[in-house]
Amino acid sequence: MTGRGTASRFLTAVLHNGVGRYVRQLQRLQVVFSPVAPDARGARQFVEEEAVDFARRHPDVVLYVRPCDCPAPVLQAEYLNGTVREELIASKTSEEIVQLAAKLASQSGLDIVRIRKPFHTANPSVQGQWHPLTNKPSSLTVRGPRTAPQ
Amino acid sequence: MVLLSVPLWLRSRLTDRFWRVQEVLKYARHFRGRKNRCYKLAVRNVQRAFVKSTKARKQKKRFLRALWITRIEAASLEHGLKYSAFISNLFKTQVELNRKMIADLAIYEPKTFKSLAALAQRRRQEGFLAALGDGKEPEGIFSRIVHHY
Repeated sequence: MTGRGTASRFLTAVLHNGVGRYVRQLQRLQVVFSPVAPDARGARQFVEEEAVDFARRHPDVVLYVRPCDCPAPVLQAEYLNGTVREELIASKTSEEIVQLAAKLASQSGLDIVRIRKPFHTANPSVQGQWHPLTNKPSSLTVRGPRTAPQ
Repeated sequence: MVLLSVPLWLRSRLTDRFWRVQEVLKYARHFRGRKNRCYKLAVRNVQRAFVKSTKARKQKKRFLRALWITRIEAASLEHGLKYSAFISNLFKTQVELNRKMIADLAIYEPKTFKSLAALAQRRRQEGFLAALGDGKEPEGIFSRIVHHY
């Protein structure tokens, strides 16, 4: 849990998302649950009631519903840069699952590690970055017009 | 039938020793020497690293503030002002910029910093006039205070 012992990254947007059109980074969302298990009750309620509304509200996310014989109900999110995130939804209510799905939809697929600075800019300087000759008289840098011909 | 004590021939063996060791060694991988490989040495040094990292959170604030002050001092000396004069006069003109922002301006926006130094210099002169003058001259323009309440 040290600064150098754990991974960290700088604040970025995936491929400058948002400069032009905003592209949602969530590609597909899979709801994997068992139709019989008791802890998948919230997942079943979500699939019955809220899943269609969620899919309508987020038209660029593909929602897959997979009832299968799995040990624990899981919400699997795949992003455009290839990261796959799995979130357990065992013993969660339908509203909590909706909130979780909305949170996953708003994330980009970048790693969730410490962000070194909460700001990032490609053009930090408007007036020109300081260099040792900034505040010196311009006679040191500018060669004036040549007066006498050589 | 409830068995209250385990028979002596029943052994339980530790099967996940590898992962328990890796949990500690993963924080020691960037160390130098044998303490990045050997568990016995790594345990002590990982503990020290965590303790130092906890204490350093307060020290980081001190270090960064000292760094900003050094940078502001260097930049204001380029314009002929000492750091103490610069900061005190900027405070008196109600320019509420913290040292971090002033240091960033000095690096990335040198003309803005030059104007701030000029403002502080002018306020300094007005302060001298007010203190040493006879009270016949009007108050300085930059010595006016805006009340926000």
